[in-house]
Amino acid sequence: MSCKSFDWKAYALGELDRPARQEAEAHAAGCVRCREELAALRLTLDALSALREEEIPQRIAFVSDKVFEPKWWQKGVFATLFSPNFAAACVIAAAILVHGFARPHTDDAQTQAQINAAVAKAVMEVEARYAEQLRAADARMTDMYMTTTGLVRQ
Amino acid sequence: MIFREVEDRDLIAKARRGDVEAYNLLVSRWEKRVFNYLLRLVSNREDALDVSQDVFLKAYQNLPKLGNPEKFAGWLFRIAHNEAFSLLRRKSPESEWAGEPRPAASAHLLPLELSLAVESALKRLSTDQREAVLLKVYQGFKFEEMAEILECPVSTVKSRLYTALELLKTALAPAALGGEG
Repeated sequence: MSCKSFDWKAYALGELDRPARQEAEAHAAGCVRCREELAALRLTLDALSALREEEIPQRIAFVSDKVFEPKWWQKGVFATLFSPNFAAACVIAAAILVHGFARPHTDDAQTQAQINAAVAKAVMEVEARYAEQLRAADARMTDMYMTTTGLVRQ
Repeated sequence: MIFREVEDRDLIAKARRGDVEAYNLLVSRWEKRVFNYLLRLVSNREDALDVSQDVFLKAYQNLPKLGNPEKFAGWLFRIAHNEAFSLLRRKSPESEWAGEPRPAASAHLLPLELSLAVESALKRLSTDQREAVLLKVYQGFKFEEMAEILECPVSTVKSRLYTALELLKTALAPAALGGEG
């Protein structure tokens, strides 16, 4: 294989699998040019490794830190908006409003007349039922009296 | 008795269930690596720290969206990459975003200290090239992982990295040889 078929950068960066590495090493053993190229690459990578790692000037703020806590007004607003009681109150208020606006609009006098008529009818029915019950009771008393009298006569 | 260190995936699982302390531990493990990656990328300590903070906050918010916990590192660096480039675009919308590599300036290399020489050589790379070096050499990601982080084909990753290595090889040769002697 020719020198051009070997990727020495991939080799130096550890990207080749074992068979490819072994093949490249076998070639480099007999090729001065490829050995020089590889040596230059390693020198560069060694130099790069000399770059010192910087210490972080201050630690990254954790998500549990105070700085990430919601502000008092956020807490108040969010706590109110997302509480079940507030949600329930909203639903009831909405239902009342919808009922109030959706109800058919009728004349007050007409409504009152209908109510009066209904009440009068109900009163009459109750009175009639009461009178009927009185008549029935009176009849039962008369029968009992007659029966009692008859027994005395005998 | 064998002490087994808690794995990242365990911490991720706990954090997903709302365990804030587990996430805090995860931050402690990764903050230095993320900060250094961002520092080399944006070349400003305050910006790097601010972006690091944003990265970990965004990661926490999006933790439920992380498909495979084993890919946490790549996922975290993808967030870091996006945040860094968002900052760089805001700061210099017209600069170097055509992706053209800058010429190496090996003639002006000052090899008094290898670390400074490396820092200087890295700064002379384009942002894309520098990021490829940072992810591969300093963070140890594989080409495929880098492609996922950078959202580009592996061939693009290799092209950026190989060009960067050629430029660094030229720029650092005097310093590296001097450091050896």
